[in-house]
Amino acid sequence: MKRLLVALAASVAFAGVAAAQTYPTKPVTMIVPFAAGGPTDIVARLVSENMSKTLGQQIVVENVAGAGGTTGITRASQAKPDGYTIMMGHMGTHGAAPALYANLKYDPVKDFEPIGMAAGTPILIVTKKDFPAKDLKEFTAYLKANADKVNQAHAGVGAVSHMTCILLNSQIGVKPTAVPYGGTGPALNDLVSGQVDYMCDQIVNLVSQVNAGSIKALAIASVERSPALPNVPTTKEAGLPEYQVAAWNAVFAPKGTPKDVVAKLTAALNSALDDAGTRKRLEDLGGVLPTKDERGGEWLGKFVASEVARWNPVLKAGK
Amino acid sequence: MEAFLGNLSLGFGTALTLNNIFFCFIGCMVGTLVGVLPGVGPIATIAMLLPITFGLDPTGALIMLAGIYYGAQYGGSTTAILVNLPGEATSVVTVLDGHQMAKQGRAGVALGIAAIGSFFAGTVATLLIAALGQPLTKLAQLFGPAEYFSLMIMGLVFAVVLARGSILKAICMILAGLLLSTVGTDLETGQERLTLGLQDLSDGIDFAVLAMGIFGFAEIVRNLENPETRDVVQRAVGRLLPGKEDFKQSYKPILRGTFLGAILGILPGNGAVLGPFAAYTLEKKLAKDPSRFGRGAIEGVAGPEAANNAGAQTAFIPLLTLGIPPNAVMALMVGAMTIHGIIPGPQVMTKNPDLFWGMIASMWIGNLMLLVINLPLIGLWIRLLKVPYRMMFPAIMIFCCIGIYSVNNSTSDVLFTAFFGLVGYTLLKFGFEPAPMLLGFVLGKLMEEKLRQALILSRGSFATFVERPVSGVLLAIAVIMLVIALLPSVRKGRDEVFVE
Amino acid sequence: MSHQTSPNDRKPSSFGIRCGQDFAAGLFLIAIGLFAFWQAQTLGRGTLNAMGAGMLPQSLAVMVAIGGIGLVITSLLVDGPRLERWSLRGAFFIFGGIVLFALTIRTLGLVVAGPLAMVFGSIGSEEFRWKESVIFAVILTAICILLFKVMLRLPIPVIGSVLEPILPF
Repeated sequence: MKRLLVALAASVAFAGVAAAQTYPTKPVTMIVPFAAGGPTDIVARLVSENMSKTLGQQIVVENVAGAGGTTGITRASQAKPDGYTIMMGHMGTHGAAPALYANLKYDPVKDFEPIGMAAGTPILIVTKKDFPAKDLKEFTAYLKANADKVNQAHAGVGAVSHMTCILLNSQIGVKPTAVPYGGTGPALNDLVSGQVDYMCDQIVNLVSQVNAGSIKALAIASVERSPALPNVPTTKEAGLPEYQVAAWNAVFAPKGTPKDVVAKLTAALNSALDDAGTRKRLEDLGGVLPTKDERGGEWLGKFVASEVARWNPVLKAGK
Repeated sequence: MEAFLGNLSLGFGTALTLNNIFFCFIGCMVGTLVGVLPGVGPIATIAMLLPITFGLDPTGALIMLAGIYYGAQYGGSTTAILVNLPGEATSVVTVLDGHQMAKQGRAGVALGIAAIGSFFAGTVATLLIAALGQPLTKLAQLFGPAEYFSLMIMGLVFAVVLARGSILKAICMILAGLLLSTVGTDLETGQERLTLGLQDLSDGIDFAVLAMGIFGFAEIVRNLENPETRDVVQRAVGRLLPGKEDFKQSYKPILRGTFLGAILGILPGNGAVLGPFAAYTLEKKLAKDPSRFGRGAIEGVAGPEAANNAGAQTAFIPLLTLGIPPNAVMALMVGAMTIHGIIPGPQVMTKNPDLFWGMIASMWIGNLMLLVINLPLIGLWIRLLKVPYRMMFPAIMIFCCIGIYSVNNSTSDVLFTAFFGLVGYTLLKFGFEPAPMLLGFVLGKLMEEKLRQALILSRGSFATFVERPVSGVLLAIAVIMLVIALLPSVRKGRDEVFVE
Repeated sequence: MSHQTSPNDRKPSSFGIRCGQDFAAGLFLIAIGLFAFWQAQTLGRGTLNAMGAGMLPQSLAVMVAIGGIGLVITSLLVDGPRLERWSLRGAFFIFGGIVLFALTIRTLGLVVAGPLAMVFGSIGSEEFRWKESVIFAVILTAICILLFKVMLRLPIPVIGSVLEPILPF
């Protein structure tokens, strides 16, 4: 009994010391609003692994999928703003959601403390392998001439492939038949077997198919060519420079998280982005890392506002 | 042939290193554990274990994760047989006769034949992947939306055949299952359907939530009201392992189940789900006395279990050769490979031959391990059955609650499970069977998706389902089966209405 | 849920109902069908060639209801079992226990939610014993924490958000 009391006293004393220490004193939860194994989840796990080392506490990834990611972000936005709940936001949840979900319970611009951009994956335009167009110019010409015959696949309303293709179609000025699938896998399957004609999606989902020649890549919607597919021209080179889009992933904390905690998280994120091992892993996936100017919360806050403004008219018109 | 043997020896060379055997073993153990625990599926587990594999080399990591996946298939049948809980869509069928066998004191025999059947199926399927993986992907490419839709129609016909009692009631349950599957966001328009305004329903109803509710919790309440039926499970223990007679009855079903499961598993739209249902239907049709089915027929365990495991293995084919994941677990495997810097797809075989063949070889080793792990465990499981029911059911309850919670880290899922438990109990009182409803639910989502895709692609012409040869053949088979199933019931006035 | 149990427990001939179970089952399905149809009626139906979001839910709802009508009709024509008695005690405590688990897991954590749900659920059995049930529930919760949290590393709140700030560790 005596020994137990001593142990108790010791633990209370220890707890006092621990509380006096600064953030973080216990594991941090990072809510990922998509299923495990997807592109956003992979970015979150790679980045959080390195951030854990810097912070000295484990970051536990918790997948809360649903409703295009808005379920998880809604929950995260309502969490206690103490820095122990952070989230991996995404082009969909923090850019397109206001246009897609009428009863969205958060405001991407106002309800968060932006921590920093993690990584984006550029969008690739791909067609089935025997599609009668060898480059983007022929593709747009064919689309304009045969809009009623062409089938475009996407992975469901609100998916990256859905939004980015609406953007592409609106920039070309066509409205082809859209075939919805229940995920990237089945959509890609039907593209490989030639049931549908084209789709747009994150490069990481498509690289191996392109390399194997089972689908054809026309252009990549980024400023520079991707090291993962060096032979694929950018949209600028291929003649559609205004089509610039990447599925970005960025870290946020709920509104009201203390400034010093946010600063600590930003620093940890930045050092993860500077770590050679983490960089390489992200780049191998076709990921594009933020430049020095694009880091930190301030830039991200402005960027989110610009994304919301950008997607709103496109998606509302495409509906 | 020489290349094949060369590949295999490369594979075994990789898989049989001390490290990889160890990872395979860990994977199989964890898989068995999560399979046995109701609700906790391989998806949540693999997701949580992903970070631990960061430090490992990719081959070891993937061998371990794959082990969790097929280990869970073995473990899942244990829960299905012992406590009437199908953890996954593929073990719904095992419940039907497996749990009946347990009630008759033949739990050991059922578990044994399930493990042995699974091992055999796993062996054959592994060889199939190694020898014919590449050409078989061509088969998968034949399947467009129209073909899938016809395949699903065929699946629904299975559900009618599955029915034990009144056919009208079975059809009603299938329809109710289909109706439930339409809950959630519409794929094409993004509108919310039948969600009652609840955000948690916007992605539809989770399979585990529905299955735990209408099978697991409803069964507990029913057991509490009639102590006689549940005590049977406790009193009768019977033999631990299948005997000669059991093998004689089940070897043919195992062979047929393996074949059906392996073929359906290759289809990239999660065709593996259909495998056990198809195998069960086939066995029931071939049996001399079909009325035994649903009352503890060993063929009703052997065939579907073999089909289940064969399908689980061949589901790796579209992943490994095409890089296209056929189901949620495989999608997670894609993530795992990607994190380790391997982008799954047609080139894995040439770029990382040791990983590719090592993984395949490890599957066979894993299946062998699972057999060795599972057979001795049977004694333990059966002893568990002797725990008084008043302690057993709170344990099942808490495991289910934790399991359901962990699927999406969501409390509303737990609430929905309670709701469906109540629905399931009501259905039992009304003399409905839950199995056809679950099949309708599982097939419903895919069916609507494929139907609408096919019609969009054909610009609204229904002729597409008959004009496309594969689709036409599948529909014809479905019609023939339906006629065969309905005819005797019309003649005999098959109203063998009986209450369990 | 419909609760019209009593009328069918009487002599089957009194209402011309020959199978109380099927009669109630039919009414249940009709209710489900009507409810689903009502919920789905605002969705666009589209045409057969270009289906809208409401096409399948609405037609399935109608089919379920038709199936229900079929059951009601057969219940008037063919003899069958009556409706069984309902065990309200079991249902109340089992489903109540699950609901308690859902309500407490995040705030109070598994340490409270686990025993609470199990003990409450145990009352559903007629063989319920307080002491045994509490001890068993506590032990099992400890096993669950070990199993799910330590071994499988699932992100389950062991100590909930309410308890955490109070505890000294």
